[in-house]
Amino acid sequence: MSTIARVKSLPVEGLKKALWVASIAAAVLLVAGPVYMLFKYSISDSTSINTGGAPIPLWPYHPTFRCFTYLFSDSQFFGVITNSFVIAACTVGMSMLLGVPAAYVLGRFRVPGRRLLLLGLISVRLFPDIASVIPITEFFIRFKLQNTYTGVILAHTLLALPYVIFIGMSAFEAIPDDLEQQARVMGANGFSVFFRILLPLSIPGLVAAAIYTFLLSWDEFIFAYFILGLGKISTLTLFLKQKLAFSPPQNLLAAISVLLSLPVIVFSLMLQKYMTAGITTGSVK
Amino acid sequence: MADVVLKNVSKRMGSSQVIDGFSLDVANGEFVTLLGPSGCGKTTLLRMIAGLETVDKGDVLVGGKRYNNLPVQQRNLAMVFQSYALFPHMTVAQNIRFGLSIHKAPAETIRRKLAWSLDMFGLSGLEDRLPRQISGGQRQRVALARALVLDPDVLLLDEPLSNLDAALRDTAMEELKRIHHQVGTTIIYVTHNQVEAMTMSQRIAVLSAGRLEQYDTPRAVYDSPATRFAASFIGSPAMNFLNGAVEVHGEDAGVMTPVGFVKLDKERFTSAKAMAGRSVTVGIRPQNIAYAEHHESKRYSDTTLSVSVELVETLGDRSLVVSRGENGTALRFLITRDIDIEPQEMVEVFLDGRRVHLFDPQTNANVFSF
Ligand SMILES: Nc1ncnc2c1ncn2[C@@H]1O[C@H](COP(=O)(O)OP(=O)(O)OP(=O)(O)O)[C@@H](O)[C@H]1O
Ligand SMILES: [Mg+2]
Repeated sequence: MSTIARVKSLPVEGLKKALWVASIAAAVLLVAGPVYMLFKYSISDSTSINTGGAPIPLWPYHPTFRCFTYLFSDSQFFGVITNSFVIAACTVGMSMLLGVPAAYVLGRFRVPGRRLLLLGLISVRLFPDIASVIPITEFFIRFKLQNTYTGVILAHTLLALPYVIFIGMSAFEAIPDDLEQQARVMGANGFSVFFRILLPLSIPGLVAAAIYTFLLSWDEFIFAYFILGLGKISTLTLFLKQKLAFSPPQNLLAAISVLLSLPVIVFSLMLQKYMTAGITTGSVK
Repeated sequence: MADVVLKNVSKRMGSSQVIDGFSLDVANGEFVTLLGPSGCGKTTLLRMIAGLETVDKGDVLVGGKRYNNLPVQQRNLAMVFQSYALFPHMTVAQNIRFGLSIHKAPAETIRRKLAWSLDMFGLSGLEDRLPRQISGGQRQRVALARALVLDPDVLLLDEPLSNLDAALRDTAMEELKRIHHQVGTTIIYVTHNQVEAMTMSQRIAVLSAGRLEQYDTPRAVYDSPATRFAASFIGSPAMNFLNGAVEVHGEDAGVMTPVGFVKLDKERFTSAKAMAGRSVTVGIRPQNIAYAEHHESKRYSDTTLSVSVELVETLGDRSLVVSRGENGTALRFLITRDIDIEPQEMVEVFLDGRRVHLFDPQTNANVFSF
């Protein structure tokens, strides 16, 4: 009986496996393809781009880091990267400071109106940025936040907060009640329970939220554009936009894009470590 | 160490009365088990003592002090949860040290107690492992060690052995007994496993639907169950119950049941006679019904019954025979493994009249025990 079932299921298993491998390959190609192309363009010499009708080669004829050295020799570019970094880092700090306590309360306590609150948080993010940017900018102008770091950091915090609260809340919610109650029985007060049990256990979720926030701010264009305009403070995305206006060579654009996406790749790899399930295994049951 | 007194405590959860006027006193240093079926409120009671649930009515007294409104962290109690609740991000040593560091114990004390507990619970060498890197039995020992280093007034244990396999459970039971003997802490132990309750505790509180059915020594609970519930819940295989009425025939007092006249012990004739005519439920354990052909001699107080065998279940050294008497009334009894009985066979059995319990069919209270 069982042998028959096994024999019968064999081809199905094989098909399943083939399908699985194929979808993984497709996914890898879909993700890695553009990244590869971007990278290839960024190290291409001009003859590999302007081939005069011949097909563009898979690997540049004369690979070169000229575009990168050019960018880094530009003093403005260095300032731009620093700006983007500072803004993203401050956004992370701000969002965490505001989002983690909110996530803790929503995740660990029975808050009246919780569902409505969460619904509100989601719906805020359902508006396209381009629709919300004008009223928010107007509001910011009133408080003299235009053309300031504070302004753009606050705007980015506004964008990131719903995510931080959501991810953080699920992280706090996932911690078994037994652990908190056990700590209390052992004499821990609310403060100790939070800092010694709940916070360490929700770190993976909170790190994910922080990385997400960093990337959101790093890549953000619309709000940065409206709030900073093309004033004194420029970010990487604004710099890219500025360069685009002068229709620059493709390899230079690609080099900027590579630098723009570098944190995404680095952080994604870092995130991997925290994505692995089972951090709480062995605690209960 | 301290004694624990529960005075008429009640607890409502949602629409159900989970604990209903429950009273219990646990002496200082005593090992008491709360025994009852799933959902009868054992965990709730334990959590009320620990302060994790509020008390609706009644009083919780520990060491003579009223605990009702004392915050959890101010009660010097330790609790081992059914899930063990080890902190997953802390090593074995960190888990054990946690409570001590919360209480700001001096470093020297912490070191000494950690060493003591690692030794006491056979955890040496595992101190740097995370909970997920040790076995179920080891986790249980860490949970106990973590509780005991705090020198709690009372140790509350919620089915700490339920996640262990049978062999490990036996060792763990012995260990727990030894530890109680050495440390002398008051222990309130929750389980629905009667073997655990019988083996370890000094007194057993039998619970049913949030009420106390009986509170006595393991022996007394087994020998003279106070209620029909206690009788059916304790002892394995479960007790036989037969409905009938007390009758007196000349020198003999007994109960007329569907399977026949069940004689009662001669020594208790007077009290049995006083009950003549009364409706009762007869309770007799399978252990107190003997297979006639095997039995050396029939005693005067034995009742002989003819039953037809329905099923024989091997229990290891003995077998359980499920049989039916006249009118199809089920009767279960035990035989040794060397006896061969086949289903459909008609056999004779002796009911030991000295071991018959009578319960009131209305109140379910034991009205006649030995
Ligand atoms: N939050 C709650 N709301 C309503 N009823 C509850 C709640 N928690 C528990 N109960 C009920 O209270 C009763 C007692 O629960 P409790 O957990 O104390 O049982 P238990 O004796 O420990 O059972 P088990 O042996 O299965 O652990 C159960 O019938 C349960 O359904
Ligand atoms: Mg329970």
